[in-house]
Amino acid sequence: MLKTVVGIGLFASLFTGVMAAANPTCSLVPGWIPQGEARSYLADNLFEYMDGNAEGYLLYGFQNMHGVTCTRDGVQLIVDVSEFSDSDSAYGMFSANRDLRQPMTKIGMGGQIVPRKAIFVKGQFFVEVAADTEGDHSATLKAWCAALEKLQPGSTEVPGALSWFPVAGQQSLRLVPESVLGIRLLKRGYVGQYETGKAFVVTEESPATAAAVMQKLRDRFGGNTKVELGDEGFQATDQYLGRVCIARKGQYLIGYGNVPDGQDAVKLTTALLNAVK
Amino acid sequence: MIKSRRNFLAASLALPAVASATRSEEPQQSPAPARPQNPVKAFSTPQFQYRTLGKTGLKVTSLGFGCMITSDGSVIERAADSGITYFDTARSYGNGNNERMVGAALKRKRKDLVLSTKTEGRTKEEALAQLDTSLKELGTDFVDIWYLHGKTVPADVNDGLIEAQQIAKKAGKIRFAGVSTHSGQKELIPWMTTNPNVDVILTQYNFSMEPFMNEVIEKAAKAGKGVVAMKVMAGGTRRAQPGNPTFEKLKRDGAMLAALKWVLKNPNVGTTIPSMTDMDQLEENLRAGNAAFSPTDEKTLAMHLDRITPSYCRMCGECEGQCRQGLPVADVLRFLTYADGYGQFSLGRERFLGMEEKHTNVRCDSCPGCTVQCPYGVRVAERLIKAQDLFAC
Repeated sequence: MLKTVVGIGLFASLFTGVMAAANPTCSLVPGWIPQGEARSYLADNLFEYMDGNAEGYLLYGFQNMHGVTCTRDGVQLIVDVSEFSDSDSAYGMFSANRDLRQPMTKIGMGGQIVPRKAIFVKGQFFVEVAADTEGDHSATLKAWCAALEKLQPGSTEVPGALSWFPVAGQQSLRLVPESVLGIRLLKRGYVGQYETGKAFVVTEESPATAAAVMQKLRDRFGGNTKVELGDEGFQATDQYLGRVCIARKGQYLIGYGNVPDGQDAVKLTTALLNAVK
Repeated sequence: MIKSRRNFLAASLALPAVASATRSEEPQQSPAPARPQNPVKAFSTPQFQYRTLGKTGLKVTSLGFGCMITSDGSVIERAADSGITYFDTARSYGNGNNERMVGAALKRKRKDLVLSTKTEGRTKEEALAQLDTSLKELGTDFVDIWYLHGKTVPADVNDGLIEAQQIAKKAGKIRFAGVSTHSGQKELIPWMTTNPNVDVILTQYNFSMEPFMNEVIEKAAKAGKGVVAMKVMAGGTRRAQPGNPTFEKLKRDGAMLAALKWVLKNPNVGTTIPSMTDMDQLEENLRAGNAAFSPTDEKTLAMHLDRITPSYCRMCGECEGQCRQGLPVADVLRFLTYADGYGQFSLGRERFLGMEEKHTNVRCDSCPGCTVQCPYGVRVAERLIKAQDLFAC
């Protein structure tokens, strides 16, 4: 029996080994040498490495992290590769951590390099490289990102849902892993911030479950008005979400919240709904 | 001296009466929503307990708000309108994005609230630069409490960081200096208790922790330190997520709210900062904050402890040096958890085989008797044998 269990475990480990990323090493970029042991963490002990920040990772379906600290010419680099449950979640982690005021860099599905830190996402892997010393380390970080990008498996295509959101006036676009707009019924989805409000798309398991959520949302937003939009829709006013319009298109719940005066919530939602494929 | 975890739970049953007799105060503020109520989902008006954070004199609601994982500012705004007066964030949350959201959400009520943030800066200069960024992102001239983030041993709180807090105080950028800690409390909290530069201690504190926590917190409170509790829900440092069977079980049993109530009944805790991601959670916590810890809650938490006790190693370190064969017991238990708790067999085996040969060669089933006694009842020998059966081949 024991041998069977071990056999299954070994098979599983071999199988997952095919899919897993290679762990980062200091030799990826010439001249860097390791400082201390390589590290690895799972969800149950990530707090040992980053007490106070671990929950931010767990929220996005963190699976494991492999990291190494490297040094060269008095500069210390902390390199960590985190695996998430899927590429959407990894992208979500990236979008939650990127500096919205800094430009993106084309690395993997998306990246950002600032003087002392670089982050990027590729497939289900979120990569962080941080310089421990003051100064502009952009060139070094860029070289490391290039090497690490080659090391990581996975797609470089951004999640398809991102293309549904209008680009004009977009201030941010991110995956919210739970409670979109602070509403538990809207479990997980993308939210785009615009001057015209917060646009969102939540994907339900099926049209039937989406319809059930719509009914609960109608109950939640009292005094709502039915609108002819997609399969069904309504608009309402909420104390904190302002003017809200929500529509269903098959398994998708699509809408806008906090729509300011002078903007047409239904029109905005219609445009988003039409973009959802 | 409280000897066991079950006694730890039971001993604190006497606290609610003390709490209400000594710490509850009349609300200083009343919730006054400036905008029309949602016609359907209106909150019932919560009645808050107000407590004072030690010698700081800051009066806060015993239920605060940890903003770290909140993704929509409307929840924070609503919490402030509901009467919660203490909000906590950190420079590192979301790489700074969290502070920006919190600042925007609380802008309307900033002057009525106690706001804290944290720095992970390791030097005076780095910390002060981070503080300036925090103030800018939060849209405020000062924060009420500025914590040194995630310290474990006294040496982490170095002179440079203490100096940074004093400089910031003199400049009016912070009102009070704090230190946050997730581990090492046994040594660190007593050290902070006697350190005149520390005004507020932010610590992990929940029913699943070691019994000494009550003692160190009590001493800190008596010394005039403000004590803020985080990670108050069941699960300690791990966060069970919606959809996760453990999460669903905890929620169904009411263990999560019972855990919050358990912390709130300790009069030495000034306030708590549970994470809240949505309006529903906020409302549940508001209800829990107003309810007394009941015998039913105690049973719920005891049952939860029983459920997790046989296998859940809390890495308390009490078993260190107890094994006659010199095994690093906590490490081996963790490697086994990788395999049977998280389905990461290969990692568990890799870590097991990475130990020194004298440890990988040990077979506990040939030992005359196990010398390791886990204070929390983990069946250590059984778990070690399982690890050796699985990995040492």
